[in-house]
Parts: sequence; structure tokens; C-alpha cells
Amino acid sequence: MTAVDDLIRDIGAHYCIECGKCTTVCPIANANPDFAPRLIVVKAMAGIANVALEPDIWRCMTCETCSEMCPYNVLYSEFIKGLRAEAVSTGIVPVCSQHDLMQTMMRMMATPGLQQNRLGWVTPDLKIADKGEVFYFTGCLPQMSTIFRDQEDVNLLGIAQSAVAIFNRAGITPVVSNQEVCCGHDLNWTGDEVNFEKLMRINLDLIKNSGAAKVVFTCAECLRTFEIDYQDIAGDLDCELLHISEFVDDLVAEGKITFDGVEEKVTYHDPCRLGRHLGIYDAPRNVIGAIEGMDLIEMERTREKSACCGVSAWLTCDSIAKEMQLARMVEAVGTGSDKLITTCPKCQIHLRCAISEEMPIEREKADIPIEDFTILVANSIKTGGESHGK
Amino acid sequence: MEPKIVAFCCKWCSSAGADLAGTSRMKYPPNIRIIRVMCSGRIEPSYILRALELGADGVIVTGCHLGDCHYIAGNEQALKRVEMTTELLETMGIDPRRLRLEWISASEGARFASVMTDFVEEIKKLEPSPLGGV
Amino acid sequence: MNIGVYVCHCGTNIAGVIDVEKVTEYAATLDGVVVARNYKYMCSDPGKELIRNDIKEKNLDRVVVAACSPTMHEKTYRDVMEEMGGNPFLFEMANIREQDSWVHTDKDEATEKAYDLVRMAVAKVRKNEPLERIEIPVTQRALVIGGGVAGMEASLDLAEQGYEVILVEKEQSIGGHMSQLTKTFPTLDCPMCILAPKMALHEHKNITIYSFSEIEEVSGYVGNFEVSIRKKAKSVIEDLCNGCGLCQEKCPTKVLSVYDGNLGMRKAIYTLFPQAVPRIPVLDRENCLMFTKGKCGVCKKVCPTDAIDYEQQDEIVTEKVGAIIVATGYAEYDPSEIAEYGYGRYKNVLTGLQFERLTNASGPTLGALKRPSDGATPKRFAFIQCVGSRDVNTHEYCSKVCCMYTVKNARLLRDEHPESEVYVFYTDVRSAGKGYEEFYKISQEKGVKFVRGRASEIVGLPDDNLLVRTEDTFTGNVIEAEVDMVILACALLPTEDSAKLRDILKISEGTDGFFLEAHPKLRPVDTLTDGVYIAGCAQGPRDIADTVVHAKGAASGASVLISHTKMSLDPISAYSDESVCRGCGECKLVCQFGAIEIEPLDGRLIANVNEVLCKGCGACVGACCNGAMTIKHFKDEQINSMIEAAMEVA
Repeated sequence: MTAVDDLIRDIGAHYCIECGKCTTVCPIANANPDFAPRLIVVKAMAGIANVALEPDIWRCMTCETCSEMCPYNVLYSEFIKGLRAEAVSTGIVPVCSQHDLMQTMMRMMATPGLQQNRLGWVTPDLKIADKGEVFYFTGCLPQMSTIFRDQEDVNLLGIAQSAVAIFNRAGITPVVSNQEVCCGHDLNWTGDEVNFEKLMRINLDLIKNSGAAKVVFTCAECLRTFEIDYQDIAGDLDCELLHISEFVDDLVAEGKITFDGVEEKVTYHDPCRLGRHLGIYDAPRNVIGAIEGMDLIEMERTREKSACCGVSAWLTCDSIAKEMQLARMVEAVGTGSDKLITTCPKCQIHLRCAISEEMPIEREKADIPIEDFTILVANSIKTGGESHGK
Repeated sequence: MEPKIVAFCCKWCSSAGADLAGTSRMKYPPNIRIIRVMCSGRIEPSYILRALELGADGVIVTGCHLGDCHYIAGNEQALKRVEMTTELLETMGIDPRRLRLEWISASEGARFASVMTDFVEEIKKLEPSPLGGV
Repeated sequence: MNIGVYVCHCGTNIAGVIDVEKVTEYAATLDGVVVARNYKYMCSDPGKELIRNDIKEKNLDRVVVAACSPTMHEKTYRDVMEEMGGNPFLFEMANIREQDSWVHTDKDEATEKAYDLVRMAVAKVRKNEPLERIEIPVTQRALVIGGGVAGMEASLDLAEQGYEVILVEKEQSIGGHMSQLTKTFPTLDCPMCILAPKMALHEHKNITIYSFSEIEEVSGYVGNFEVSIRKKAKSVIEDLCNGCGLCQEKCPTKVLSVYDGNLGMRKAIYTLFPQAVPRIPVLDRENCLMFTKGKCGVCKKVCPTDAIDYEQQDEIVTEKVGAIIVATGYAEYDPSEIAEYGYGRYKNVLTGLQFERLTNASGPTLGALKRPSDGATPKRFAFIQCVGSRDVNTHEYCSKVCCMYTVKNARLLRDEHPESEVYVFYTDVRSAGKGYEEFYKISQEKGVKFVRGRASEIVGLPDDNLLVRTEDTFTGNVIEAEVDMVILACALLPTEDSAKLRDILKISEGTDGFFLEAHPKLRPVDTLTDGVYIAGCAQGPRDIADTVVHAKGAASGASVLISHTKMSLDPISAYSDESVCRGCGECKLVCQFGAIEIEPLDGRLIANVNEVLCKGCGACVGACCNGAMTIKHFKDEQINSMIEAAMEVA
């Protein structure tokens, strides 16, 4: 049994009936006729070639649009993930954005004992703790905020600040840790299992020691990584893992927070990780719906059929990604909304990139403000307090 | 263990300055490993991180003085990128003193030697790199 | 992959500090290395023969030489590779001399470092790819900017070799500063007499002169420049004007003549001097009554060929050339900022160039020695040297020509006015040059009084005489000399428009502001922009003799380029992978050479690199977010391989 054979078994590729539905819906295949998810699976099963060496395994965005449609639930993204690990073990080095800066940074974070300074964003009005019920996992917001500091209007630290403000409003002092490290999502999806596990151990120990019963995330990727990948390796975690939208949804239901009325039209972009990977579609919509006067206008491709932001794990930031990003933004503009809301900071970075650079279409067709869900919520909560969203 | 330092030098100014230090027989500590590129504008944050990840105790990026870049403004890019990287290192818990940016012209052999001597001394004052054991 | 590593002893330069045997042994253990040798002088013929033999017998495809700086011998070994049918870019040098044996004393540490440097070079060469030089066509014409003696000499040399030359001069006549001078050292020739035959170049079939013109824009690249030239409106139709000079004679408006150092007047329509080339006058619109008052028209009325055109507009012409020679000369330092010398305050304090005009037979006094304040004939003169030169408050450099021109003027005064009293207050007399020292000696014999000391002050006296105060540093006495006239040997400066030209041509300037040569010794006429050369004082102060030599050098450099119909370029250039590029435009933003365009392709945008314009700096690669942009020979994987090798332990 080769590693690829194991993979075929694990993801249920044997069940593939070669119906081709995956290729039909695959956004990459739609842009690039040479790319077909089905063929990689077929080739792997036939053992024709070492599919781990195929460049196409790095082209997949792992958006799971295909799995969503698959009559036999073949988990294609997991297959790709496994193939990438296999490729890396044979010495293949993937080409990642920013010349591998993010991945290098993440690998470095896997070194135990680094005295990070990642809490510079915690302003005096925000209350955080070392131990407590709720752990707020900030993810790579502090680092991304530096790396993307030239990106106009990006307010990644505002997401973290808004999250703590929301907790505080609900009477919660969340644990926010200077010792937290990257969740490892991007390493995991670029075949670096070794460093991924190192990061995971650091984070799990940290959360365990904090005594938290709930871990809340503002990043769809972090949540997916904990929910699926960590538990896959480390077994079930004895704490609840929640996206901030779920957490706020509960707070609203319990009446712990209420919103100011606002006349605004927004549209919501489902991130692949939150939507198709984790099935969380309703919580963000519920919360937006609870804001009086806020009108949620759905885009044509929504929920399970949501479009991908084009890039995952800093791998596929190419011309096809840009086409997808612009198409998504055009779709958002088409709703007539005032802004586009998303629950994944990475989606925001990627979509923002597309509208801040040169583009082959008229700018106004794709130009609509993008705001993170957490900031939207914090800014809409009733009563004063500091706002971190502006 | 002696610290190891990766130095990025541009072909036209700082590497020529390093050559001049040699031609003038100026002495500086042997901890520096020079990687010569065409322009400091070629240096990417990822290279700096990569060197540190592999255990370099320090990284020094050098180029022509501002305004004197052989490629007009490549060194301005270097400045921008090193500033960003410094902020990133700070957040990550890597002492930002491990990264330095210096402008050294082709005629500044003495400056090359003194900058390198100074940097090696400063690095020696720091604890060994936390990534050194990786 | 067969790599050969060659460790040079460089006599004892390397082997005296680094254990070359050990380095060789170590190199042999590195991945891909099939042979490692060391030799006394790798760059010598027997040294190169070792490499040649191994390439042949051991089938080497990649070579590393651990020796001196690549600046010294990279080309030597690349040539060996090429000669043996290999690719010159499958070669790397480890600099174990300048960056190792010469800067370290501890043998073990230096040897240890040499291991690392060799390992890094081997790691890089392993990742190197064969590169082919780029071939481009060459336009066999040249542009010369500046029509002084440098520009004229360069133009003539090129024209005589059969190349078409475009000569652009910002004044209305060629001739430059040399045409203003009285006599030249050390031969005391009349400058205009020796210049005139050269100024006849306007009749040369290969030379086109654009006078009263400026360079507007230069696009393109080595061998293929496109130059926009602004022909400023002269208000005179060149094809009709026969240079009779009637307009100039009849023009009622007199204006101070800058050419004459503001010591005399010219007309509002004027040629610079009687022998001007071309002999076409220019109407000075700032002072002409037709433009200031809207009436006059005398020139138009008297012109026998109806050549006056008040409506004339500037005209932009474009020329294609393969090489450009910058011969824009110098500007004389304005000494009024040195308050203690009173220039501008005291009428009888003149600059060197003013004195040249004052004593010039066709100057404002027709050569009669009269001082500006009262027209009296001065009898006592003080020359003050190093005004604005050799002074860190103004310009640190030596202006090189002032010693000799002062010696010349001082001697001429003693020759032609034996009754005159002539002081030269100098810092050092620098008379290096053929016949210069002898000339200086004659001036001493003729009674010029040389006083070593920099004048500290000039005091104006009531009768317009001047008191020069200085220490005679040989005796330690403070001297006060009362004179009728003071001549300041002013520094030579870069011209005022040199910064603009620098930007247009994308060339560099040194800290002194003069254009920077590619190498101070070995490439004195080249700039770092291929195809652009410098001649004469544009590069730094020099006298006429040196200027002519420099100009001939620049012409030679240019002709080496344009004598070919094609040329090959260094292949280190950036390129974009169009299947990856998202056309964001970041690369274009950082490219200083206009080498990148964002272009549409199948409904999307992609970056396109013009490999000829690309200088290979790699700034665009750093700016590229997704790895679409790459630069040959300095790819990410190549640089990363060196970083990784640097951090390995031998």
C-alpha cells in the first residue's frame, strides 16, 4: 500500500462513479480546460502515474464545490491535502504567495519558546484575561496586519478588537494569549504536516491550560482547522469550538446583546471554510438579520453554491483567482448593497487585493466596500463604547 | 558557538564596498556570509525570514545609499521591505535587532568593515537565536 | 550534473591565510562536484588550461572558481566556459580573497568561512540555468549633446568614421566656453583660431546640428534610442537667413551680454559672437520690443531675405540613434556667496571667465584692458585661486584648470603690460601636464608674484581699488596688497540643467554633481546606462587638452557600439509567467526603467517585460505577490539555495 493508496481509501475515492459533476462545477476547471479534478482521482486509482507529482494538485483551491455536488461524497479536498503532503515528502516545494513569506513565518512560529509580541492591538478599553471560560483565538491577524499594511482600508486588527469588544459587551472577559501561534491551516494545506502538528500542540496546550470551555474564532480557516484537522489528529477536544457568528447568534437569542437600528443594505460572502467545510451558513445571516434596518441581499451564488475567493493557503493567487475575485465582486456590486460582508479575514484580503490593483474591467463594476462580519457586529451593538471598526 | 550572519549585498555598492575593504586589508570578524544580488531591491522579506528560520543569528541587508541606487530606487524598496519585516519579527518574538539595514557605497570599504564589526558585536550581545536549534 | 571547483592560491594572497588544500578537499565532498583542484594563479593561462582540460575530459557542465571578487575575473572564466562550448552562466565565483583572506587573519576561521563560501557557490551553480544572450539591432548613428570643444571633437571623430551624428547645442552657436577664452595655455594659441576649423563641422555631410535646442525626452535603449529634441523658436527662419547680420546691427534694443560676462551689451536679436556657427541670430523674446511692447519690427523690415518670423513656435523633432554622448560641459561658480570676496559688491572683482572676455580681442572692450568701475586701465592685479573649490563649504574637489589659466592670464598681463603688478594668491600651484610646469616657471620669470595663501578678505577702497588680505604662509606674514582689479579663479560646476538630463538619460551623478562614469579608471567615458557616454567637463573639471582626449575616448566608445549592426545583451532580465500573472501592476510601479507594461491578454491583464530595457535589478520580483515574476540567474530558488547553504555546517 502506498501513501496514495491509503488516501484513496480514506477519502472514498473508490466510490467515484466518474460522473464528471465535479469537473462541471469546479471553478478552476471552468477557467482552465486542462484542469479536471476527476482525472486526478482516476489517474490515482489506475496507478498510472504518481499523481503527487502532478502540478494540478497545487491548482485546486480546496473550495469543496466539487464535494458538495458529489453523489458519493468523495472528499476531494482531503485527497488533495494528502497528495500535497506526499509531494512535499518527495522534495517538491510549492510556490506560495509573497515568495513563501507566510509559510516561512508559520514554520518559525512552530519553534517553542518564542516570546511573541502579538497583543499590541489590545487597547486599554479592552478587557482580556489569561484564564477563563472563553478563549478568543485571534489567529494570524497581527502578522497579516503587518504583511498587508499597504492594503488600503484593510483593518485586520479591527477584527480582533471588535471581537473583544463584543465579548466585553456581553459581560465576558475572554482569554487572549500572547503565546498563541498560527493554527497551521496554510502549512497543513501546503503539505507541511510536521510543522502543522507542532503548531497544533502549542495551541492545544495553551487552550487546555487556560481552562477555557469555549474557543471562539473570527477566522473561518482557524475554526475549520481546529474543528476538523486538530480533532482528526489529536482526538476530540474537550471544549466547544465556535465561530464568532455562532457565538453572537447565541448572545442575540439570549438577549445579551441588542443592536442599534441602521439603514443599510449588505450582502454576505460565504467563505469556503465556514460554509462548505463546516456547514455554517445560518449563524451569520441570523445575526445580520437581527440588526434592525439592515437589509441582507443575497448574491446569486450563495450558501453551498457560494463562490470561492480564489486563493487558499497562499497557493493559487493567479490570473484565474483574479477572474474569480472580480466576478465575485461584480456579483456583490450587482446586489446594490452598500457593502460586502465576510466572515473570513483571508477572503477579505484576497477580494480586496483584486479591487485594489489594475483590472481589465471598469473599476466601478467591481468596487464595493468590504467589511468583516465581526466589525459590522461590534459597530452595530447598542450603546456607546469604543468602536474599533473605523 | 560563533554567531553566523547572512549579509545581502548589492553588486554595485555594498558588495563593491566589501571588495574595497578587502583590497584595503581592513579587518572584520569572519561571521558574515555574503550573498550578492544585483540590487538590494531584490531582497525579499521571505529571504530574511528564511535565513533566520535556518538559525542565522543576524541578517544584514545592504545597498547603495538612498539616492545613489544603481537602479535608481531599488534601495527604497529594500527600505520598505525591511521596515515591514522588522515589524513582523517584533510581533513574532524575534529580536528585531537581528535584522539590520545599512547603506554602504562602493567607496566605503572602511564603513563596510566597521558596520560588519559593529553588527557582529551587537549580535554577540544577544542571546543565541531561539531558532538556532531547529 | 558535473561540477568542477577550482581554488586559487592567488600567490600567497589567498593561500597565505586560507588552507587551500583543505578547501579543495572539502569542495570535492559536495553534492555534484566531480573534480576539485587548486592552483597558484587560476586566472593564468595554465590555470585556465586546468579548467579547459577538465571540461573536456571530465565532462564538466558547471564550474565554480573560488578566488577573487567576480568583478575581477568573472568574465575571464565565463569566457573559458563559452570557449569550451559550455554556457557561461553555469558558472559561479566564491570570493575568498576580498571577502575572506584579505579581511581575516585567523587561518582556521578564514578557512572555515571559505568552506561556506564554496558551498554557497556550489549550491547556486547547481541551480543555475544556461542563459542565452539577447541579440538586438543597432542604429548606426550617434547623438552628441553639447557643442563645446568636447562635443565637437566627438562629433567629428564619429562623422569621420562615417557615422551620422546629431549634434544638439542649447545655445544658438556651437563653440562652448572655449570660444570665450582669450588665449590657451601652454601654447598661447588664440582659441577661436584653433577652434574655427573644428566649428566648420557644420559643413560635414554626416553632421546635423540642432542649435538653440534641448533634449526633451529619450526613450528606447542601447543601440536603439529615440530622442525628442526641442528646437526652441529662434524667431528666425533658418532656411531663409543668410547670416548677413543686418538685423543685429539695426536692432534698437541693447541687453547685457551673458556671453560677455555681463561686461558688455548685445542686441535683442543677436548671435553669440561674430564667428558663430550656425550664423543664424536668435531673437530674445524677453527683451525684444515686438514682444514686450508689441511694436518695433525693425529686424523684420531690414531683413533682406524676410527670415524674421515673430510667430515661430518651438518644434519637436525626433531622431533615432544607437549611442549618446553627453558633452554638456560646465558652469562657472557664482562667487557672490563667498561674502568676503565681495563679488557683485565690488565692480572690479571679476570671475575668471569675465576676465577672459575682458581681455578678448572680440570681447566687450575689444581687448582693451579697462576696469568695469570707471573704465580706467588697471595696473595692479590680484588673482585669487580656489574660489569655490577645495573648500568643504562650497565644493571639496579641485577644479583642476584654474591654476593654469591663472598662470596664463598673469603671464599675459606681464607680457603685454610690463608695468603691471600681478599677484597670484594660491593654495598650491598644480601644473601637472605636458609643458605646464615649464609654462608656470616662465610666468615666475616674467615677474608674476606668487603668494602661497588663500585670500581671507577683499576690502573695497573709496576709489574702487581693492585691498586683498592674506597670509603669506611661507613667511607667516599677513600681506595686504592694494590692487585695481581682482580675478577670482572660480570652481567649475555641473551645468544647471544636468539634473534634468540625468533623469532623461537615466544616468547617475557623483556626489560632486558631475555625471558619473562607470569606472573611474577603466571605464572613464561610459556611464552605467548602456549606450550613453560622457565627454569633457560634464564628467568633471578638465582642461581643453584633456577634454579632447576624453571626447575622443567617448567617440571611440560610441563607435565600438555603433560599428555593429547588432549587439548582444546580458541575459539577466526579468520575465513574467503569463499563466500565473494576475496583472496587478505592482511590478510596473517599482520598475524604474519603464521595462514593464501591463497588457491585456484574453480578457485579463498580464505584465510584459521588455528584456532589453530590463536592467536585471529584480525589484519587480520582490514586488510580485504570487511568484509570476522571475529574474534569470537570481531566481528565488537560486537565492534560497545560497541561504540554505550558508546556514549548513561543514
